[in-house]
Amino acid sequence: MSAKNKSSDIANKGKSSVSLWKRAFIANEEWDDKEEFLDVIYWMRQIIGIILGLCWGLLPLKGFFGLVLFVLVNAAVIYVYVSNFQNIDEEEYGGMWEITKEGFMTSFAGFLVTWIIMYTGLHSGSLL
Amino acid sequence: MWSDSLLIVFISICTAFLGEGLTWILVYRTEKYQKLKVEVERQSKKLEKRKEAHGDSLDKQHKKKIEREEERLKNNNRDLSLVKMKSMFAIGFAFTALLSMFNSIFDGRVVAKLPFYPISWVQGLSHRNLPGDDYTDCSFIFLYILCTMSIRQNIQKLLGFAPSRVASKQGGALFGAPSPAQFK
Repeated sequence: MSAKNKSSDIANKGKSSVSLWKRAFIANEEWDDKEEFLDVIYWMRQIIGIILGLCWGLLPLKGFFGLVLFVLVNAAVIYVYVSNFQNIDEEEYGGMWEITKEGFMTSFAGFLVTWIIMYTGLHSGSLL
Repeated sequence: MWSDSLLIVFISICTAFLGEGLTWILVYRTEKYQKLKVEVERQSKKLEKRKEAHGDSLDKQHKKKIEREEERLKNNNRDLSLVKMKSMFAIGFAFTALLSMFNSIFDGRVVAKLPFYPISWVQGLSHRNLPGDDYTDCSFIFLYILCTMSIRQNIQKLLGFAPSRVASKQGGALFGAPSPAQFK
């Protein structure tokens, strides 16, 4: 009995996480649970960080400009997503600053790692 | 150089899983921890709701109730960190030993090339034990810290071990004096 319950729990969990990703790409979606929406923002940030790190490394972008551009692009994408795509009232989440902060440091670290590794591999001149 | 940096990413993924695995064995799976975690989360949510509902009223009774609940939450939070602390110490020691081993393996080796010129207070870390004055050379420790920052937290979140936002928000507020915004 308990095993059955457990498996149905897992199935429900899987279902909700799939629908969470689907919901993330539906415009003006209703978010009853704040945590769910902040999770979407968090994971979106991590993906953006890695994608930008790959792009910056491939181009390659260098110097302080690369860092500043990352911060600007990252913040702008989230801002547009929250205020134009989802039309969220940011006051519900404690202001735009709270949303902008969500997962930023982790995404920044992920971005730096991918940027440094791509740059080292493709443009530093010494692979060994 | 590239193989070194990829190896460091791999090392930090392994150590992150190892750390989480050890913490799971020593802390997360224990009944005491699970009970306390559920309790702290429930109380934090309740407290936040109460603050939202009665935040504007200057009713002394409500304020007193909020204070009493804050006190209870504070105690539970303290118990929770005590449960965590013992094993954290053990894991901390193990990881310090592991880190110093890797440090000696990669000693004096340039593991990556930075695409930017680090600011002076980062240079001590990014150029640690490296010869020469080219500050775009990256040391093991700098790359390892960056990897750990991104990988460990993401793994924690993926496995569901990260503390919930409500709990950490309420917990964080308890360390300082309550801000006026809390009673708005």
